[in-house]
Amino acid sequence: MSFRGETIDRRNFLKAAGITFAAGLVPGSLMALERADAVYASGFRAPDGAFGIATVSERGEIIDRITLPARAHGLAFSPATGRAVAFARRPGTFAMAFDPARKAEPVIITSPVGRHFYGHGHFSPDGRLLYASENDFEGNRGMIGIYDAGQSFQRIGEFEAYGIGTHDMTVSDDGKMLVIANGGIETHPDFGRTKLNIDRMEPSLVLLDAKSGALIQKHTLPSSLAQLSTRHLDIADNGRIWFACQWEGARNALPPLAGWLSKGEDIALLDLPEETTVRLGNYVGAIAVNRRDGVVGLTSPVGGTAVTLDVKTGLVLKEDVLREAAGVAPAKSGIATSSYDGQFNQTRSRVAWDQHIVRIV
Amino acid sequence: MRRILAAGLLSLLPLSAFAQEADNAAPAVALPEAEVTKVMTAAVDGFIRPGYDALGVSAEAMAASMKTLCDAPSKANLAASRTEFGKLAASWAHIEIVRVGPVIEQNRFERILFYPDRKSTGLKQVQAILSKSDETATDAKTLGTKSVATQGLGALEYLLFGTGSETLAADKNSFRCRYGAAVAGNVGNVAKELSDIWDAPDGIQKAWEQPGPDNPAFRTGGEAITALLGILVHGAEAVRDQRIETFYKGADKVTFPKQALFWRSENTWPMVAANLSGLSSLLEKSGMVALLDEKDRPVVSAIHVQLKAMTDLTAKIDPDLEKAVVNPADRKKLDALLADGKDVIAKLNDGYGGAIGLSSGFSFADGD
Repeated sequence: MSFRGETIDRRNFLKAAGITFAAGLVPGSLMALERADAVYASGFRAPDGAFGIATVSERGEIIDRITLPARAHGLAFSPATGRAVAFARRPGTFAMAFDPARKAEPVIITSPVGRHFYGHGHFSPDGRLLYASENDFEGNRGMIGIYDAGQSFQRIGEFEAYGIGTHDMTVSDDGKMLVIANGGIETHPDFGRTKLNIDRMEPSLVLLDAKSGALIQKHTLPSSLAQLSTRHLDIADNGRIWFACQWEGARNALPPLAGWLSKGEDIALLDLPEETTVRLGNYVGAIAVNRRDGVVGLTSPVGGTAVTLDVKTGLVLKEDVLREAAGVAPAKSGIATSSYDGQFNQTRSRVAWDQHIVRIV
Repeated sequence: MRRILAAGLLSLLPLSAFAQEADNAAPAVALPEAEVTKVMTAAVDGFIRPGYDALGVSAEAMAASMKTLCDAPSKANLAASRTEFGKLAASWAHIEIVRVGPVIEQNRFERILFYPDRKSTGLKQVQAILSKSDETATDAKTLGTKSVATQGLGALEYLLFGTGSETLAADKNSFRCRYGAAVAGNVGNVAKELSDIWDAPDGIQKAWEQPGPDNPAFRTGGEAITALLGILVHGAEAVRDQRIETFYKGADKVTFPKQALFWRSENTWPMVAANLSGLSSLLEKSGMVALLDEKDRPVVSAIHVQLKAMTDLTAKIDPDLEKAVVNPADRKKLDALLADGKDVIAKLNDGYGGAIGLSSGFSFADGD
């Protein structure tokens, strides 16, 4: 999830939201929205077990909620159109396009037969296309579904992801390149969320031509890191692609958990301090770059830790204890975080925040 | 701890002004290590190892029964082998709930049971072996190198109950019979591999029983118990989603009775019952209840009661699934099984999971 300096201005958001949206808010939420310097969206589970998406203020207060038919995972937001999409958690088959300002009715997108969503996607910079990571589960290959992000979100094509267990994906700022994290783990809806090939994983990072789907470059990992699932991505302002990983190998190993790559260059794996790797529990659940501040945020629900890195050097700037850490997003200053036990920045709400946050204002 | 080095690894200089607020990580589940070791030891020694040992014993009995049938074909010996198949299948179903560790490595799970198989890959491949009388399928060792769909319980069920199985009662040392004996031997070989791996004192047994910083499986007791809970949650989900919903998704939904596991031999419900008893047995024998505060413990007894009720209900549904799915009374029982299954999953997920510190439950907290 990235904040690329193109989010909607708060006043414009309020103006666009109009009377209907504002009238639908309880007074506390309206106050929260008026005070907000940033607005985020994230999936959540309510105490009654219901799932939804909430818009959230900079302080972490819930502004608005939209009900979902099942659990969501990652989200995409288009500053160009103001539309957002929440993707079902794998092996879910729905995604919901919605307008955080409630100017338009939500649209349910269904994956085609033989495909399910992997939980992530991204808009093209002009907001006209939506790309979604998908599983061709009979073919055991990752795909990128392409949807016309107009009114009905019709599926208009697909590209091969050149890997298995495709998870997060993003788009370069100029819209010319798709960046794909293939986690390397085989799953099949017949077996739920069971990981079917832990002893023979094939993680990879792939760059595709956004127009043709042609492979630009693909990076696999050395055999010693075959169980390092490359899963989440964000892009820094110099075009450097940051990735975060989850280790499926021996628990007493100290694998690299993040790294970067650029077009035309090999991947670089970050050798984090040993104690940081331990505190991250060999598992990074989410990554986000704050371009303005030049920092990268990582969170780990396993270790209960949020780590902030320098975007230029990769050095650790800060570590925070955050029990059941979930999402990260670029904040007005630094990195916004959430947790499964309801913490979102400085506010605790009676919901379980899901794994990812997207910044929309 | 073992640092993994690889080309492209950027070494960073130590940071002197390290703004660290955390002395330690904050894992969601923090439990007394001694108590955890007790529970994990009980789970391994009281459920997992005996489960694989019992599977090996059942496979031996199956192999012996097949040998008798091959040497002296008769209706009685065929009936005995069919009964033995039911016992072997149930023995597997009891330990099948463990879908972690060595069983999911090197295709061991699929070598014992290849299912679901929507495209009937296994059936087609077994029929091809039968039509060619491929002698390499009659030796457990060479069979073990063939497609996983041809060497496990699915293949054996077809050989004993499928079209042409009646010839087993008449033809001495037939190809079909010797192939069946090899399948039994193959299942026995995989069971022995699993027992050997779990019995090795310095292997996975130790890793599961003694979590710690240098442990290759679990760094903390919390991780170990979370994984143990995961076996129960995923096991309960598999019963509901893989074994029942495969053919019956609820009232007014299309049914697929011939997609059910072992519909041909009417072992669908005995398998489900053995899965459920496996869940109950692991929960009981591990003593997981001891890790909960007194006030939270009723959730464990409630799970036992519900699993028992579900098991009892399976015995009351017509074993002929084509009849069961069109019988209103049986459909009600199927609906009840689905509802109870969902409830058991919730009790494990949110009830037990919440009580050990996973504030939003087990499944919610498994990242992605």
